[in-house]
Amino acid sequence: MAAIVFDNFSYSYDGAAKALDGVDLTVARGSFTVVAGPSGAGKTTLCFAACGVVPHYFGGSMAGRVSVAGVATAGSSMRELAVNVGTVLEDFESQLVTMTVAEEVAFALENRGVGHDRIARRIGEVLAQVGLAGLEDREVGSLSGGQKQRLAIASVLATRPEILVLDEPASALDPEGAEELYALLASLNREYGMTLLVVEHDLARVLAYADNLLVLADGRIACQGRPEEVLPVLARSEELAAMVPPLWQLKFGLEERFETRFAPWRHEGEAIEELGGFIGAGRREDTKSA
Amino acid sequence: MRKTAPLTKIVMVFLVSLWAMLLDSAAALALLTAALVALFALSKAPAASYKALGSLGIFAAGLTAMQFALGAEAEFSAVVGLRMAMMTGLFILLMATTRIQDLTAALVRQLRVPYEYAFMVTASLRFVPDLLAEVKAVQEAQACRGYSNRGSVARRLRNYLTIVQPLVLRSVTRSETMAMSLELRGFGANRAGGYGTSIAFGYRDYLALAALAAGTAMIVAMRFYR
Repeated sequence: MAAIVFDNFSYSYDGAAKALDGVDLTVARGSFTVVAGPSGAGKTTLCFAACGVVPHYFGGSMAGRVSVAGVATAGSSMRELAVNVGTVLEDFESQLVTMTVAEEVAFALENRGVGHDRIARRIGEVLAQVGLAGLEDREVGSLSGGQKQRLAIASVLATRPEILVLDEPASALDPEGAEELYALLASLNREYGMTLLVVEHDLARVLAYADNLLVLADGRIACQGRPEEVLPVLARSEELAAMVPPLWQLKFGLEERFETRFAPWRHEGEAIEELGGFIGAGRREDTKSA
Repeated sequence: MRKTAPLTKIVMVFLVSLWAMLLDSAAALALLTAALVALFALSKAPAASYKALGSLGIFAAGLTAMQFALGAEAEFSAVVGLRMAMMTGLFILLMATTRIQDLTAALVRQLRVPYEYAFMVTASLRFVPDLLAEVKAVQEAQACRGYSNRGSVARRLRNYLTIVQPLVLRSVTRSETMAMSLELRGFGANRAGGYGTSIAFGYRDYLALAALAAGTAMIVAMRFYR
């Protein structure tokens, strides 16, 4: 069964301009799906639709259907949907509402009436999962940005959702923090089988982990598929080429110019290694011909 | 004080404030104030609360001096200053020796204050450091665009609007995100709350409540039946 299904889904916040327009999308269970696209393309609205914030919180008008773990979002409350979907919003700091780390993880469990002994056990498990073990009594305000992001993830993991939706989770993190965060998300995906739907504009950060890349433009799906299939399509598009990371732009340019094929790079390390080999080979050929 | 239940401390704040209102002798109030300072010392309150206590002392002295300068008798002026110092000092002691989450749990579970209201208190305090950081960031950003907090009071107030405006907008956005997040985590379904809080009564609470009740009875008797 698919984790999330958008069936010809359209949505408008104000009844006029469509934020999403006729979206057909199936997110496979256990997949790591990355959503990209220019500003105003509908990425955040897509996340909101997956967790029921749209239409339950914002109202607006919609057509079509979204179902999560087989449940139609329009027919269930946000609270009911949260059983299956954990959501980390873009402004994750505002999502943290309690004084200490342990209380933050306990918050959703308390709201569900879970007993204190089980809460205590779950806090230990979840904090170990996200690398915050031992910080139970720390005040939320004293954590670093990366730790707060991990805590926001821990706070939604506490209730064991099978799907995790994250809206630009690395936008406020430094490069090292972003790398650590995506390594954590990858481990949740691979080791615990969680389905991930992540909005990210810097594709170089996620190519190592994503198995499904979805590009939105003007509320519609511009292209979708495995990253190695989607990137060349983006590189050829006038409007969306800027989304392709610089090294990959270079790759496609070189492939076209020299009629060669590079391997499908999954991260910048692979790109630098292969490009280094390519440039070295070119130099040797120049020396020989001279 | 840290081992005393939050409810006991809340009761203490109310009853000792009542004592301060009923007592009209500067000597008795000075004795109470000395006891409060001793409690502070015994409770190992954080350094910031001593600073607050010091400021309170200066303010109380100023209030006393002002009363006296406006023609009130010395005894009455001292009573007014000491009363104010006592009542505010008690509140500072309560906040300095009680975790805010314990206070909230006591309000909800023992005083039956609706969970939503008590939660609002905790959440507001949680965002104080964030708000201060934002004020600093906005001030720096606006300083780059020519913001200055110099000049006349009217000018400074007018200039301060450039700080307040983005802060208000940011707070509105923040509260919207927070509301969504609360909804997504099932807020309000179970109203118990208070994980990891400590509000249970111990023998010292019963002793303190008994002493407070006896003290109140004695002061009321002295005040109305002397």
